Amino acid sequence: MQTFQEVIHELLGFWMKYGCVIQQPYDVEVGAGTMHPETFFRVLGPKPYSVAYVQPSRRPADGRYAENPNRLYRHTQLQVILKPPPADVQEVYLESLKVLGIPLEKNDLRFEEDNWESPTLGAWGIGWQVLLDGLEITQFTYFQQAGGVDLDPISAEITYGLERIAAFLTERNSVYDLRWSPQVTYGQVRRREEYEFSRYNFEVGDKAMLFQLFELYEAESLRSLEADCVLPAYDYCLKCSHTFNLLDSRGAISVTERVGLINRVRSLAVGIARRYVETDE
Amino acid sequence: MSNKFLFELGTEEIPASMIDPALDQMRAAFEELLKRDEIEHDPIVMFSTPRRLAVIIDQLPERRPDREETVMGPPASVAFDESGSATAAARGFARKLGVEVGALEVMETDRGRYLALKRRLEGAPVREILAQALRDIIASISWPKTMYWTETRFRFIRPLRWFVCLWNDEVIPFRLEGVEAGRTSRGHRLIGPPQIEISDASSYVECLREACVLVDRQERFQRIAGGLEEESGGQMLVPDEGLLETVVHLNEYPTVLRGQFDPRFLEIPREVLVTVMRYHQKYFSLTEEDGRLAPSFLTVLNTSGDPDGRIRRGHEKVLHARLEDAAFFWNSDRKVALRDRLSDLDHVLFQESLGTYRDKTRRVKAVCGLLEDSTELRDAAELCKVDLTTDMVRELTELQGVMGGLYAREEGYPEGVWKAIYEHYRPVSLDDALPESRNGALLGIVPSGSSDPFALRRQAQGLVSILLARDFEFSFDSLIDFASRNYEDLVTGEVRSQVLSFLEQRLFFLLQRSGLPQDVLRSVFAVGIGSAPDVRSRAEAVASPSRDSTTLTTITTATAAAPMRM
Repeated sequence: MQTFQEVIHELLGFWMKYGCVIQQPYDVEVGAGTMHPETFFRVLGPKPYSVAYVQPSRRPADGRYAENPNRLYRHTQLQVILKPPPADVQEVYLESLKVLGIPLEKNDLRFEEDNWESPTLGAWGIGWQVLLDGLEITQFTYFQQAGGVDLDPISAEITYGLERIAAFLTERNSVYDLRWSPQVTYGQVRRREEYEFSRYNFEVGDKAMLFQLFELYEAESLRSLEADCVLPAYDYCLKCSHTFNLLDSRGAISVTERVGLINRVRSLAVGIARRYVETDE
Repeated sequence: MSNKFLFELGTEEIPASMIDPALDQMRAAFEELLKRDEIEHDPIVMFSTPRRLAVIIDQLPERRPDREETVMGPPASVAFDESGSATAAARGFARKLGVEVGALEVMETDRGRYLALKRRLEGAPVREILAQALRDIIASISWPKTMYWTETRFRFIRPLRWFVCLWNDEVIPFRLEGVEAGRTSRGHRLIGPPQIEISDASSYVECLREACVLVDRQERFQRIAGGLEEESGGQMLVPDEGLLETVVHLNEYPTVLRGQFDPRFLEIPREVLVTVMRYHQKYFSLTEEDGRLAPSFLTVLNTSGDPDGRIRRGHEKVLHARLEDAAFFWNSDRKVALRDRLSDLDHVLFQESLGTYRDKTRRVKAVCGLLEDSTELRDAAELCKVDLTTDMVRELTELQGVMGGLYAREEGYPEGVWKAIYEHYRPVSLDDALPESRNGALLGIVPSGSSDPFALRRQAQGLVSILLARDFEFSFDSLIDFASRNYEDLVTGEVRSQVLSFLEQRLFFLLQRSGLPQDVLRSVFAVGIGSAPDVRSRAEAVASPSRDSTTLTTITTATAAAPMRM
């Protein structure tokens, strides 16, 4: 495995053969693959569903102006949902690493406790971070709750950190030196984006406007939900969440505001999840 | 006739810290069951890896001992008529038990004479007794956090995946949550066979060792301890019992590996390097003979070895990236002076109703002013929480306080300031060292819940330990008083008395731990307490055997709220 794009290709191929729906990245800004509607909604309710997709994930506060070899404002996750998970779900996951050409019998692999939680989505689960020779390459979670709703059946969520896996496989010290394709590096594709968004997120973003946007998105989310447009309501909930992250990276949120804003996003997510379950026939 | 019972519960990786408590609970549950049924057995032996909990009980009898049982019937006066023949009541009692009336006898009891049947109960097969109890034993293990994974909503730490249940070489039928017991266990995930047959209970440990799984924690412990010694290669291992306990429970087949890092990182403070290795990577640190940190580490792998060095290179690369981050923080944090960061504390929440760390800093400063009038202590109080705004502490929260101290030292603050900041969270556990400096001790006793707002017991313990060790004669009353002045109306009389009794409990606990008898402590505490050292000296006086009973009375009734000496 020599390139970033091959890693993506092989993993999607593996999960496609396993029987997953292969979905596309969501086109609204999200902080993690979990926020994609293909996870947030599909894990609710009784219907079995298995899906895999790549999700570029934006975390404004993690930006480092393209100067840090490991930290990115926008990193790439590959997310798999198995609902319900098969009894050999861990073994299937390990199989997926083998298709990347990782000789597991020659590596040090561990599942170490790490319970995932998202206060803004009202979601949490039990699970591990998977460490390969000391490097965290995957978050593995048995979802227990989403949008404040107890899940039945539960889903297993497997989230691969693609940059890390690719850097591991190709023994690169900086993510920017990764080969994206045989001819092009990760740095050539993404460096400018990392730099400009870091500047925007930390220095340039218009705080007053962002606050306004938050209010507008929240109102529109509530209005859509009122009209039983549950999925559109969720889009605006995601926009609220991203706007909150932008405000946060701009240092615009005071202590008291912070708790309040998180609760407002959470209460949108909870209302949406509840309505989705009620109307899902 | 003796028998061996094996039960192995297969699951998915259990958090390391939870394994020992679970094993203790399982052992106790089996012991209680066998005791209840008067079944003799050899000491119960427990086994575990992250993926399994197992028990072996040897020298079990085939059946529970037979038992004599007496079933009470109607009073003799009702059971027989005047002529002495059995009445309908007696016949009915006999019929119910399936015996002839002639088998019944009359027993004298303290309530009078009664008809009764004495019979011998044959003991049930022990294997059945064990199988019937398994479900309850598994369900009774209490875990800090559980999950569900089936529609029945059965809860456990992780999903149940397999059971091995053997009576000598026979499978004992048992089923729980869709998992059927058999004799098939599982080998090491990466280097063992996926499945392994256990021929009989006696070969359990051996079979799994062949499958690259060491189920005996003691064996893993020794393998790790031996490996740490062997791989330290002339350097000294920085001892870390807690980490050792953790890695014993993180691996099915542990192997110690030595790695290096770039010596240029040694310019970062040792505290940072050790924390990165310890908390983020679970690595052991090494020192040179002269005590300086060595640019190497030891890690415990979950596999049998690393013949071509790829695992070592992987671990070294991960550590390199982390140290690169740490070096970046160490350099960039120092570009902003601690004092210039004070206003940033306005943005760091302490606790919702208690405000920000800026508010907290004001309170700490005020209390310090009441404890002692010193410029250095005041500076230390003012700056002690500032490191919460540094990138280093945001990334390595374990270093709060320590980092503030190191940055203060770099800025040239005197030892009375930087060391006080450095030490003010101590002790972080019952066994942790107390602050070495007087200012660190003073700053440390200011009631404070910063490192973890809910670790109140640890906080109180630390406070009391420092008071005792330093012979600080502040009475609890006055300390609570100093602290409450900063909270306006938040501290009601009720809160005060709760805090006081909380502190008293910790004092009681610590004095008891130091060897003072409970009854002595009770009598001393009964008259109320002033300062911690005062309580201790009175308790020691009472406990001392040379005292006669008159002195005892005087001491225990001595005025409790002794005037504060400051």
